[in-house]
Amino acid sequence: MSNETARKASSVHFENVGKTFGEKDALNNVNLEIAPGTFLVLLGPSGSGKTTLLRCLAGIERPSRGSIFINGTPVAGEGGFLPPEKRGLAMVFQDYALWPHLTVRANIGFPLNNSQLSKPARTDRVDNLLDRVGIAHLADRYPNQLSGGEQQRVALARALAAEVGLILFDEPLSNLDADRRESLRIEIATLTRESGATALYITHDQSEAFALADKVGVLKQGELVQLDTPEMIYKSPANAFVTRFTGVSGEFAIKQFKKMGDSLVEVYLPFAPDITVEATKIGKLSKDANASLFVRSAGVSIFPETNEEGIPGEIRDVAFNGRGYEHVVKVGAAEMLTKVYSKHRFDRGVNIKVTLDPASCFAIDPSTEEM
Amino acid sequence: MNVIKAKSFTENGLDTRRKFSFGSIGVWTALFLLIGAPVLCFLTLGVSPRLFQQGPEWFTLKYVHEAFQGFAGRAIFNSLWVATVVSIFAVSIATSMAWVIHRTNIGARRFWAVAMWLLLLLPTWMMTLGWTDLLQPVGGLQALGINCSYIYHEFFGPLGIVVVLTTAALPFSYFIITAGLQGLGPEFEDAARIHGANKIQTFKTVLPIISPAILSAIAVSFAETISDFGVADTLGYHAHFPLATFILFKAISSYPANFSVAAVVAAVLILSIVPPITLQSRVMRKNTFAVLSGRTRTPRVREFRKGPRVLATTIVATVFVVAIGVPVLGAVMTSFISGQSFYGGHLHLTLLYYREIFNPPSAGKSLGTPLLLSDQLGFVVASCTGAFAVVMARRLVTKVGGLSQRITDIFLLGSIAIPGVVLAIGYIFFYNLSFITHHVINLYETLPLLIIALIASSLPGQTRFMAGPVSQIQPSLSEAARVHGAGRFTAWRTTNLPLMSRVLLWGWLLTFTKTISELAIATILFPPSQEPASVTIQNYLANFNTGAGTAMTVMTLLEMLGIIVIALGIYRLVTPRGWRRIGWRGIQS
Repeated sequence: MSNETARKASSVHFENVGKTFGEKDALNNVNLEIAPGTFLVLLGPSGSGKTTLLRCLAGIERPSRGSIFINGTPVAGEGGFLPPEKRGLAMVFQDYALWPHLTVRANIGFPLNNSQLSKPARTDRVDNLLDRVGIAHLADRYPNQLSGGEQQRVALARALAAEVGLILFDEPLSNLDADRRESLRIEIATLTRESGATALYITHDQSEAFALADKVGVLKQGELVQLDTPEMIYKSPANAFVTRFTGVSGEFAIKQFKKMGDSLVEVYLPFAPDITVEATKIGKLSKDANASLFVRSAGVSIFPETNEEGIPGEIRDVAFNGRGYEHVVKVGAAEMLTKVYSKHRFDRGVNIKVTLDPASCFAIDPSTEEM
Repeated sequence: MNVIKAKSFTENGLDTRRKFSFGSIGVWTALFLLIGAPVLCFLTLGVSPRLFQQGPEWFTLKYVHEAFQGFAGRAIFNSLWVATVVSIFAVSIATSMAWVIHRTNIGARRFWAVAMWLLLLLPTWMMTLGWTDLLQPVGGLQALGINCSYIYHEFFGPLGIVVVLTTAALPFSYFIITAGLQGLGPEFEDAARIHGANKIQTFKTVLPIISPAILSAIAVSFAETISDFGVADTLGYHAHFPLATFILFKAISSYPANFSVAAVVAAVLILSIVPPITLQSRVMRKNTFAVLSGRTRTPRVREFRKGPRVLATTIVATVFVVAIGVPVLGAVMTSFISGQSFYGGHLHLTLLYYREIFNPPSAGKSLGTPLLLSDQLGFVVASCTGAFAVVMARRLVTKVGGLSQRITDIFLLGSIAIPGVVLAIGYIFFYNLSFITHHVINLYETLPLLIIALIASSLPGQTRFMAGPVSQIQPSLSEAARVHGAGRFTAWRTTNLPLMSRVLLWGWLLTFTKTISELAIATILFPPSQEPASVTIQNYLANFNTGAGTAMTVMTLLEMLGIIVIALGIYRLVTPRGWRRIGWRGIQS
């Protein structure tokens, strides 16, 4: 990021922000700080409040409680409310929100209507953006003459047009097929970072979040439960919800556990009582707790049945994914491990051995979570 | 990032959740004064005439009994069965036509869609006049030497009334059904066929998807028919087939006026629309019929072979010949045929009646001043109604409007069923109350009262007309504009207005032309010496000056068509190309 672009990136601060719809709390005391130039992804399931939080920041919704600051200036709170057009931001909408009566060029140029730029300068900037997002040949078409991916490129170019310090993304890839998602995700990451703007991006897709983010915030029922780098979220999830939502291969009830230090425990599983599994302890584990072992797929390895170590299992399904094979493995009576990767194919019905990497195993008591 | 100025900090956002606000109070006050108060006060007279010094009783059912006896009772019965039959006929024909025009390859598809708009603009009294002029013993066909006395006797009775009212109700049903068909993509039909349904089973499976549109069309056709005054005052009266709206008019225009019986008849008319509206609401509440989405595919067009294509085109053309061609031809012919033609055995054409329009004989009136007044009324009423209807439609379609929105919706839906004649009588009564004239405002027998009544009459229908297109505009379009720097008004002007422009234009034209041809309210409320064109024409016809009356009708119709053409031309010239690409599909296609 150049110094010039770094200067214009915005900081954002949410302070005890809450939003109530009727009787339902969509957001509850959210405190969040976004440093200038950060690409923050808010991750959460449907109804977790991520869209509401984004819309509150955009000025489309008014928070019921708390305050929001952009560059230290209050934009929403008890003192009043700054309308969206005065917040100096841009947004890519889930449904694209392209104006059907305007051409691609006019849609992209819309944010420049109120700018001080001369007409030639505006035209140059729009032409430049059309080139950058690869739709220069579509400049004079109308939105309904474009594919979904092309429409989203127009929406992205429009968001970049005014060169604002804050860009919001409301699940922009959710309506696209897998190939287009991948290519557009890369363009969003590249172009947004090139612009130097701060970005707030919401999604329910963990892989999308991890691929894009400098930081990831995980929302559950209107509360921010964890805010950290993608690596830390994956390696050290705050609780069972974050662990599940960021991808687990299997979740098993623990028969017994033994503390090995401040953060490590030895656990025994009901279907393999003679085998010890090391795991990272997350939160409190009491003696009589109904704790569970959460296993990331990255920490699961499978070997032929002849392997000396490992939990016995049986291959239930196998799928080729291009670079290798993903297996579904039955361990115990009904317990399953999914997305178990191996370079080698193990056929259905074959007995195997499973080993678990302690760094990818978490012992958590879900009942101790407040929510 | 732009510098955020603290002085704007107290402005409102886009969040539309609201409890009762000043806006709600304003809207409710306006609706109360425009519709609620006049109609309710008038209806109260049916059971409590003393409340407004119109009789000795505080509470009585005497007038209820009276209204169901004799001539009035017959009129109520006639209105109910005619409206039922007409709504069934109109919806059946409209459904078939909507399907044939939009889902098959019949000839001149675009022309038929435009013709349906012309039919919508034709008032029922003009239709009646055309038919009568053509068929009557001294009419157009006889002047051409064609004996049509048998058809004439059949037409001057229930048959003619049903035919004219069915053709009048046809466009309302057609546009509602067409809008329903737009959302009916081929995937529903395909799914049924793939899962083993034959053609009939497929039809039975798919038809319920547009059942809200069909029920809505039945409700609207019933309401339009039962509240019609144009046919009741012309064909019904001359054929001695009384209809309720005519009885209402007679009850208050005779001396002494019988407001109480009129109030009971009015209440029956309004209550009669409750069953179809309730049925429609129940169906809408029980199921969701939201089939329009970004994934909805373009409806498939059925390719007829040559023979069926010609047959279908001929049938559609015949419907329009009967609905538009015959009445227009009748009026035009009569306006050019000299009275001598009926007696001398030779056809004499004349321009005498057209000369009389602007240079009338000493006893008659020129059409110029009344038509100019009607144009002015049309302009003011259409503009005010359009603006108010947009505001109301936006309130109706907001997702989180709460109780106020629900009440407004029911009130406006119910108000569509209020006949113009009832509203006009309500105005005469309410705005002549001594309390109103002495302490609030004295509008009795003034032009503003007529304007307000015409606005009140048009508003419910216009609001419903606007609500559909307004609800189709995704909120994210204006949100995107706001987020990208446009203020509240700029966002509306640059995103919503272009998308609504076509529907606004057609809504304006519809109200404008309906105001010019409106008869019931104009007849009852026109101030002394300020007679609108429709009243002038009716006076000529009532005085058996058929030639001049029909010439005036033709001139009025031509003027209306001319204004439509000019307005559409201006729209085409001044609006950007993008605006014209978008529009309500029912209009566009």
